[in-house]
Amino acid sequence: MSKVKKFIVSLISLLLVTILVGSVSFAQAPLQLPRKETLYIAGMQWGPPTSFNPMAPAPAWPTNRGQHYLIYETLFVYNLLTGKLDPLIGESFNWSVYTLTVKLRKGAKWQDGTPLTAKDVVYTLELGKKYSLYFSSFWNFITDVKAKDDLTVVMTLNKDNPNKKRVEVFLGQIFIVPQHIWSKIDTSQKALLEYTNTEPVGSGPYKLLAYSPEQIVLQRDDNYWGIPYYGKPAPKYVVHPIFKSNDAGNLAFERGEVDFSQQFCPEIWKMWEVKKLPVGTWYKKEPYHIPASIPSLYINIHKKPLNNPLVRRALAYAINYPKIAETAMSRYSPAAKSSLIIPVGVPEKKYFSQEDVDKYGWKYDPQKAIEILEKQLKAKKGPDGIYVLPDGTRLGPFTAECPYGWTDWMTSLEVVAESARAVGIDIRTQYPDAPVWTDHRNTGNFDLLMNTPAGGYTPAHPWLRFFEVMEIKGVPPIGQVAYWNFNRYSNKKASSLLAGAAKITDEKKLYAIYRELDRIFMKDIPIIPLEYRPWHFYEYNETYWTGFPNEDNPLASPLHTAQGIKIFYIIKPKE
Amino acid sequence: MKNPFARYLLQKLVWYILAFFVAVSLNFILPRLIPGNPVAVIVNQMATGGVQSDTLERLYSTYMKEFGLDKPLYVQYFNYLRNILHLNLGTSFMLYPGKVKDLIGRALPWTIGLQVPAILSGWILGNLLGAFSAYKGGKFDSVAFTLSLVFSNIPYYCLAIVFLYLLAVRFGIFPVGGGYSFGTVPTLSWRFITDAIHHYILPYLSMVLVAIGGQAIGMREMSIYELTSDYVNYAKNLGIRDERIIRYVFKNAMLPQITGLAISFGTMMGGALVTESVFSYPGVGSLLFTAIRQSDYPLIQGCTLIITVAVLTANFLVEIAYGFIDPRIRAVQLGER
Repeated sequence: MSKVKKFIVSLISLLLVTILVGSVSFAQAPLQLPRKETLYIAGMQWGPPTSFNPMAPAPAWPTNRGQHYLIYETLFVYNLLTGKLDPLIGESFNWSVYTLTVKLRKGAKWQDGTPLTAKDVVYTLELGKKYSLYFSSFWNFITDVKAKDDLTVVMTLNKDNPNKKRVEVFLGQIFIVPQHIWSKIDTSQKALLEYTNTEPVGSGPYKLLAYSPEQIVLQRDDNYWGIPYYGKPAPKYVVHPIFKSNDAGNLAFERGEVDFSQQFCPEIWKMWEVKKLPVGTWYKKEPYHIPASIPSLYINIHKKPLNNPLVRRALAYAINYPKIAETAMSRYSPAAKSSLIIPVGVPEKKYFSQEDVDKYGWKYDPQKAIEILEKQLKAKKGPDGIYVLPDGTRLGPFTAECPYGWTDWMTSLEVVAESARAVGIDIRTQYPDAPVWTDHRNTGNFDLLMNTPAGGYTPAHPWLRFFEVMEIKGVPPIGQVAYWNFNRYSNKKASSLLAGAAKITDEKKLYAIYRELDRIFMKDIPIIPLEYRPWHFYEYNETYWTGFPNEDNPLASPLHTAQGIKIFYIIKPKE
Repeated sequence: MKNPFARYLLQKLVWYILAFFVAVSLNFILPRLIPGNPVAVIVNQMATGGVQSDTLERLYSTYMKEFGLDKPLYVQYFNYLRNILHLNLGTSFMLYPGKVKDLIGRALPWTIGLQVPAILSGWILGNLLGAFSAYKGGKFDSVAFTLSLVFSNIPYYCLAIVFLYLLAVRFGIFPVGGGYSFGTVPTLSWRFITDAIHHYILPYLSMVLVAIGGQAIGMREMSIYELTSDYVNYAKNLGIRDERIIRYVFKNAMLPQITGLAISFGTMMGGALVTESVFSYPGVGSLLFTAIRQSDYPLIQGCTLIITVAVLTANFLVEIAYGFIDPRIRAVQLGER
């Protein structure tokens, strides 16, 4: 009897073990990547990967917009250091008055061996005309695209809306896909969006090897067509572990488990100054990263008393910009200037005028803020320390909001509120979840709201930033959903200057127009720049890979996208 | 219907189907009461990726249509009910085109793997401890009782945070979170299993200690009540050995504890939410938490549906099982007073 019992027990335990084994080995075959040949990346992918379809709303790394062009490639890549578009699939492009001619590289092919021709380019671009995709507005500026021969694409500019700058943005942004594969999928908008593309065939130097909710693994394609032009990228494998939190990723980076990171990592200089780790950023000193966007305070310019430019000017003088740069941005930003032009680092700095800022702008000066309030506005301080305008309007309480959990922005708004109260303007902070903030922003339903105009960085900057702050054409009234100019600022002069600048390439004329636009901005103050933020955080740990570009070795842009892909060719395994 | 038990079963079943319907409707309504529009967030994220603002408007209406959010609410509701009947949980918004079924399917083994051992071992150890300290009394009882009281009254997420801070962050004995180290791939290798166990210990401990405490207190009280009853005194006077008496007492005191066990299994998914969030454990709780933050209606509905089904099934089974375990209850069920 006991033997039978033993048999049953062992049978049951065998069954249990089998179930356990089955549930654990669900993922993949064993995968041991040699550390010396593998580059680990962090900060570009957070949720589990569900598609590698560049047409989907949120595809996984590296097939999403603004990520490493490793599987799919664009025609050109934007170089943050020179402000120009460098070749990738495209060899060169030429503007005549209303046509753009793009020459492709000879010998370009897809990872399955099929040649990549002008027909693939035309096919991809026309997908955006047929369906609503991330680059559909390309067709607002272009009326026609033709393949002249296998290596030449000719595009015709929309004569009613000639905007060469915005077209150039698309040259560096649209992932070209193979017609022989996608023409089978492209049967409807839904089919195109729902395609998971788990075995992507691109033209880039890496293929997708494996993916799970924990990581995405790429393997180098040694038959990459670009090797004669660009050489071979150094890492044989590229892995993006998917961290559950910023802290987990930063910890792995500090330990050298991650080589290359785009995560916000506070006080990174301590890693080399105090802990003596082989860690680096673009600059060895402040601000460590190249500033490329301007997170700003949007003001409701239609609501009393914020509709008075003098009240806005007083607020602009009251805000402690150096403190925001020091605390909220962890010194990764110089103190913000009163301009829509970024004064340092990026190519647009050549349009910046310190003279205009000194003359028409503002800086942190609480005394000056009080002077405006008391002398120009004739406001009187109430018993609670808050100013009241002569008509009885109290300066506040105004609500300043940003999404909950965006800690750098939350800290920025705390500084804004604190420094405004110190002067006598009552500001209270509020941190709703991101969907609510988005809703308030788009409908213009806010007092003060933090947002970045024209985030990212493109060949169309700083024009695009001025456009998103000052252009009212195409923006629906308050209460409806807008996608730029959220506080519905309107100025005819600014609109005509913007339209003019879109057509011009002459640097001197552009400089004059940008200066004029910036002076209008400083007079009307629709938004207040609070800080600068890099396009990408560029952080490397040289424990396993060395030779990352930096200020002293500026061989590639400090980016996790666009021309930053050159970094993969420059780095070397550590001996 | 002749068979009174079948009638009882049918009656209960109808009630449970009604309850299911109400719960499913709530699952539909509640996520939609969260302010903010999920599609606006997706479109906004695309803007951060550098998509130009004049495209966003077009994308917004396209996604509203593709996600079915452009239809009136009642149409959305009937579509939702029809999909549930077809066991179709839909497509996630945030992880589009990821299927909710797949996302939950991948998370579920982690939740079950974390919770079932914690619940079971907590229940067994807690009951043993409770019965033993009730029987033993004296110093052992007062120490065990006090400790149980302390642990059962600490909210399990507080204990989780304390453990995380002390044992992972401060002393670095255990990893700070995750199901396993990121460099490894789930395989049946010794290295992976030890790694997964290493990640498992803290979340497990934070739940099992609370469970032991709670179960022990309940069991102790039941046992003390049983210990003073006549049959125990009688058995003692007969000179029956202690172990045997404990076994009698244990069996009788067990009844309410079985309900507790079933309910804990039912509420397992919901209970996992905070523990998984604290330890970044890759289960259903973490999934639900992110889904709520991003107003991902289909994913929220999918997770809450699983929870609903689990709770209802557990309750139903308890009611049925009771009849078999306890003759007194069966008598009531069958209408024999």
